[in-house]
Amino acid sequence: MEKRTDLWGTLTDPLIRQNPVTLQILGICSALAVTTTLATAVTMSISLTVVLTLAAGFVSVIRRHIPDTIRLIVQIVIVASLVIVIDQILQAYFAEISRALSVYVGLITTNCLVLGRTEAFARHHRPLPAMVDAFGNGLGYSLILIVIGGLRELFGKGELFGIQVLPLADAGGWFTPLSLMLLAPSAFFLLGLLVWAIRSLLREQVEAREHTPPLRTEPAE
Amino acid sequence: MIRGLWNRETVALMLLAAYLPLALFWLWLGGTGALAQLALAVLVVGIWHLVFMLMRAQAPSLAALTTALAIAMLAPEDLGAFRLVLGVSFGVVMGELVFGGWGRNVVNPAIVALSFLGFGFPAFSWPVFDAPIAWAAIPAALIGVASGAMPAAVLAGAALVATGAVLTGILPEQVLLAAGIVLVLLVADPVTSAATTLGRWINGALYAGLVTFFAFGWTGAAPVQIAVAAALLTSLAAPLLDEAALALWVAQRRRRHGRT
Repeated sequence: MEKRTDLWGTLTDPLIRQNPVTLQILGICSALAVTTTLATAVTMSISLTVVLTLAAGFVSVIRRHIPDTIRLIVQIVIVASLVIVIDQILQAYFAEISRALSVYVGLITTNCLVLGRTEAFARHHRPLPAMVDAFGNGLGYSLILIVIGGLRELFGKGELFGIQVLPLADAGGWFTPLSLMLLAPSAFFLLGLLVWAIRSLLREQVEAREHTPPLRTEPAE
Repeated sequence: MIRGLWNRETVALMLLAAYLPLALFWLWLGGTGALAQLALAVLVVGIWHLVFMLMRAQAPSLAALTTALAIAMLAPEDLGAFRLVLGVSFGVVMGELVFGGWGRNVVNPAIVALSFLGFGFPAFSWPVFDAPIAWAAIPAALIGVASGAMPAAVLAGAALVATGAVLTGILPEQVLLAAGIVLVLLVADPVTSAATTLGRWINGALYAGLVTFFAFGWTGAAPVQIAVAAALLTSLAAPLLDEAALALWVAQRRRRHGRT
């Protein structure tokens, strides 16, 4: 019984409370780059979740045999092999999306989220908890990517998954696309607003102040 | 001056007084359309200041009026109420209020709003200013400098480079007029321009230089668009200019007085 609640916590914690993107600010590079449309965001999320889960499993299985001095090399070799497999599958079956994602699938190898989870969690836990934790983190990353990708595609083009949702002004509707949403800065703004919203709901995520402001002295009259 | 008289709101009032000739000329030539746009901008900025006062206890500032004036004057034409409200909200909240209110912002909220509108709705044309409005920028600058609310060195630095550019003939007149108005409204802002004297000279010169560069090499851009883009880049560079001026000062001091 103790075991099950623990696993459930490991799985659901990274969704909002310990979200890798909004709390730990990991994996930002790909989160900003591939979220122009929902389709690429979803593909990227699935790829990363699969790679992360399997890599955590493999690292955890051989965790007692990895020499500490070369552990990063071993982890990256495992991650990179998995990424190559995923990349080949995408190129074979989803050629168009693979072209849209360009180098970012390959860059999952260097995604700090993947390395962070294998290094910090999978190396010290048995395979099942390690994989559950990795899957939860993958889901947390996917949640943010899908929210931002959805918002950007909806307001940038009026579409979701390439289907027109909001009627465009050019075609007799009322919606004028906000082309800023398709540029990279908008992802920064949306992510910032999202972090702001989450931290004002969950106060414990707010970072400690770097400086304490001096006591205010009123000017003499 | 009496100590205690000069606080943030006094500076905001002086800025408002400086902008008065510019605003009156613009309203006189623009008529009711201009007045409606200004009223909408003031309303939206005011509401956001009120929201931040109620939710985060940030004192509202009269600088809201200068922001609203700058946005209303320079925003692309015929945007419609909804897009204008969106742009103004974005600029005021993300450019100023989240940093803690006027005086703590890094970039001028009006520049943020205008850039947002320019990038977000590229189909709308930028306003064109006639010579009378641009001439009204000169008394505005004079009042600003005389009252100390506008940094004189920024204006002087910009004027110096702009004069050189006009004399060599690479700065067209339309761009010069728009750049003058933007210089007074957005660049010569006491908060977001550089704070050291040397930094201010370079700040003004950089602005005029960027305007000249864009006018020379950016084909198909409207004069106001050129000026706003230059103002955005300049205000982002301002802290760097200050840092360089301070480092120079420290290095000079060290050379004269040895290790301190």
